[in-house]
Amino acid sequence: MSKSEKKIVLKSLDNEAFEVEKAVALQSQTIWVMCEDKCVGNEIPLENVTGQILAKVIDYCKKHAVVDGDGDESSEELKNWDTEFTKNMDQSTLFNMILAANYLNIKSLLNLTCQAVADKTKTIDEFHTFLNIENNFTPEEEAQICQENLWAFDD
Amino acid sequence: MEPFPSDVSREIFSRLPVKSVARFRSLSKLWGSTLCSPDFTELFQTRSRARPRLLFAVERYCKWSFFSSPQPQYPYDKSSSSSADFHSKFSGDISRYMCSYASGLVYFPDMWIPKEDSDGGGYSPQPVICNPITGKYQSLPAPVDRYRKTRDFLGFDPIDKQFKALSEAYPSFDDSDHHQILTLGRTGDVLSWTRNKHCPLYGRSLSQGICINGVIYYLAYNIGGLPRVIVCFDVRSEEFKLIEADCFSGEDTIKLISYNGKLGGVNWNYDIADGGRRILELCVWVLEDVEKPEWLKSVYTLSEDKIVDTCNFSVAGMTGTGEIVLCMDYTSKPFYVFYFHPEKNTLRCVEIRGFGADLEAIEKRGRVHVFVDHIEDLNINDAKQFKT
Repeated sequence: MSKSEKKIVLKSLDNEAFEVEKAVALQSQTIWVMCEDKCVGNEIPLENVTGQILAKVIDYCKKHAVVDGDGDESSEELKNWDTEFTKNMDQSTLFNMILAANYLNIKSLLNLTCQAVADKTKTIDEFHTFLNIENNFTPEEEAQICQENLWAFDD
Repeated sequence: MEPFPSDVSREIFSRLPVKSVARFRSLSKLWGSTLCSPDFTELFQTRSRARPRLLFAVERYCKWSFFSSPQPQYPYDKSSSSSADFHSKFSGDISRYMCSYASGLVYFPDMWIPKEDSDGGGYSPQPVICNPITGKYQSLPAPVDRYRKTRDFLGFDPIDKQFKALSEAYPSFDDSDHHQILTLGRTGDVLSWTRNKHCPLYGRSLSQGICINGVIYYLAYNIGGLPRVIVCFDVRSEEFKLIEADCFSGEDTIKLISYNGKLGGVNWNYDIADGGRRILELCVWVLEDVEKPEWLKSVYTLSEDKIVDTCNFSVAGMTGTGEIVLCMDYTSKPFYVFYFHPEKNTLRCVEIRGFGADLEAIEKRGRVHVFVDHIEDLNINDAKQFKT
């Protein structure tokens, strides 16, 4: 296989191009399907992901790729790496990572980022903002819901 | 901004603590009903099985406080400390500091609760079942003619998803006295104890019970000086069985555990090793096959400083990933939990923080009972029959 065949170019929404090993990119089921279908050339446009987020996704995929013997990282090391990876991401980045992982269909990254958000989110306002959920309760209805779940509000 | 895909939002919500899920029902109408739906409840339970918690029941002067904290995942999680989240408080317990745990709920055999139909003056002790996470409870009728020193055990049948309480008869030498069973949580039913005459004769219980896969087990004296037995009560069929357990005769502290799903018993003792060093010896017996009363015994020696320097602690149980959990008996600062993996011979120590200054002060410390592999469950937490 020639060098060029092993590489693939991913292009972000804001036209940033990333050249990566095919084995790295194919962890995305979405990209895998695109390549299988041969509906794309060597360059894959990803219209839902910005360059800033795509760079992080590629970091993750590189770490988790099993390429040419680099894949013998112990699972413990991987787990630690994952923890560090999401530890310092702010909420907005994490939500964008979730969207990217969902769009690119990378299950393990989706699990990791969903758990990170669940661990970090403390207030209902954060969900209103990041999940774009509008509170459509009347004040009376809201009071009733809170009353029904009173035990959860007592700290 | 585009709406966030709702299946992805569900993924996030299913990974939240149960308390947050309840709070986030006020997000919007759609989420209010989604987070109550059977589908979501199922998904939530699948996720929570992957992140079991330790449930701490702390008792001081008849008052119980419940806390929980995540169990570090085996073997990767290397956290050396973890925070205890406070959940609820119950007072009025006169159960001689005993409570029974099964599948997320706690049963107290004797609690003083103001009677509903009185004008605040009338109190009488009665059994109470409570949800330690929500603080909701239900008082139950007392067993008929119960002898004061008998034990009650809570069990859960995973097939019919049914909780039952078993109240032991004592002394069982008398034919007219029988064990009593209370079936909980059937809406509409009047709760009452039924007598069960099918238990073979034995002396009396001498351990707390443990419920594994729908069977309650407890250690008991036999009659006529015969070796000790394990009493098994199948929660679903309500059948009793005795298993010979001579190996536990003469042992003072036996904690029954679920050893990878099998019944096990652990005894722990301090000893002095050659060279004068203090060590802790753990003896573990495992019942390989319930049909044959053969107990396999293994002995493990622990010598880590933190363990041997800490005088009072007990075995709390075994996690689903095969670690024996040892916890300090009283709240203190620092408070340690140890995880010992007998097969891999690894020992991990986690400091639990957050019991609060009140319980951590030396003169105010509380007795700690710990239940392992506590799985958060929205079903239980929404149980309608419970009062707040």
